[in-house]
Amino acid sequence: MPYLKLLLAIRGVRNLAALCVLGSPLAVYGIYALNTANPQPPLRIPSNVAWTDETIAEASHGNAVRGFLIADRCARCHGREGFSASAAIPNLAGLDRLAIWKQLNDFRDDKRRSKIMNVVANELETKDYADLAAYYSMLPTYPDAGDTRAFPEPPPSTQTGAGARLVAFGDGTRGIPPCQVCHGPLGHKLGAPSLVAQNSTYIQEQLEDFAKGDRSNDINMPMRSIASSLTEEERQALAAYYGSGLGNLSGSAPEASR
Amino acid sequence: MPRVLRTLKLLTVFAGFSLVWLCVRFPYETGHAAKKLLGLSPEVDPLTLHLKGEFVESNLGTAIDPDGSVTVRLIAQRYDFVPRCLLVPARTTVHFRITSADAVHRFSIDGTDDAVEVVPGHISELRAQFATPGEYKTPCHEFCGAGHYNMLSRIIVVRRNLFPGLKPDERTNCALP
Repeated sequence: MPYLKLLLAIRGVRNLAALCVLGSPLAVYGIYALNTANPQPPLRIPSNVAWTDETIAEASHGNAVRGFLIADRCARCHGREGFSASAAIPNLAGLDRLAIWKQLNDFRDDKRRSKIMNVVANELETKDYADLAAYYSMLPTYPDAGDTRAFPEPPPSTQTGAGARLVAFGDGTRGIPPCQVCHGPLGHKLGAPSLVAQNSTYIQEQLEDFAKGDRSNDINMPMRSIASSLTEEERQALAAYYGSGLGNLSGSAPEASR
Repeated sequence: MPRVLRTLKLLTVFAGFSLVWLCVRFPYETGHAAKKLLGLSPEVDPLTLHLKGEFVESNLGTAIDPDGSVTVRLIAQRYDFVPRCLLVPARTTVHFRITSADAVHRFSIDGTDDAVEVVPGHISELRAQFATPGEYKTPCHEFCGAGHYNMLSRIIVVRRNLFPGLKPDERTNCALP
């Protein structure tokens, strides 16, 4: 009888072992299936900049004179007075200092892609960013009437009607806010550039990139969701509106209205 | 063992378990309620939502939890709810977790009684069920600034049995292409 008991016990142990061997792939598959059913999305961070008090202090206490000296190397593309001769390159004159500072940071961190600016932002020192932002933000936003330099041709004003409507009122049925509540003159948002005299091709390219997700450095994605809700024609109309300099005529730029 | 002793022993065990449960549960419940009532000790930093925590960009939208329930994470900001288009299944309890990046907003679902105040620094929770598939508008219901009247996003409710078949990146939201 004791022998029989021992035999049974061995058989029990063997069964258990067999169960473990055969069962382990099943268990592994079970864990795998659970994990793939609820995959953790890859972490995506649009920009390393956050508008804390320290960040704002760091970005706004630049030295404009030092910025003027550094801006020598930006002048070939962005113009000595901050007005670019090419419609695809943004004007920097009068742009908000926080906006300039944030874009330089994003260019350095590869959060915003540009063949030229990624290199330039890496060559500059981080404390140069605030100096450059201080210099460009104090330049007047509109060239004076007697200026004879070449400026990119503004688009025909026939296209600007739809753009003006979107800038002033947005589209309530689609949840598109008016552009002017963040980009001026009605309202302002931290880090959002005031759009008064900007080049049309540049505006259009940025809107297209936001809509496609090629540019994704907007914190909490306001521009990506708005640009992708707009139609192709509306993006063109907005580019025409801002490129025409109409933003200046409404008295938005303090230099122009004075 | 006499019956009295046995009863006492049982009671002690019960009291012990209750005490443990209270210690674990009570601070959580009261703490949560107090935070909501008094507006003390913020739960999230509204300025760094995009850098860390559950409201990072890649974590927003609809998620199916391991127990099969549905959680939606949203940011309310001037002037939209992010993501601005959501997909959720019908006839399922949807658990919204919403925080604000700037001002006080109010997330409301048109045609229902469901609404919740969204305060920067805090996570507002809302449980809602959608009886029928269709599109629901979710306007902001608390004045939040110059663009408030255009602050409107939508929820698309799909049939419950269709929802799990969607690809994970399709069902998180329908806002971006």
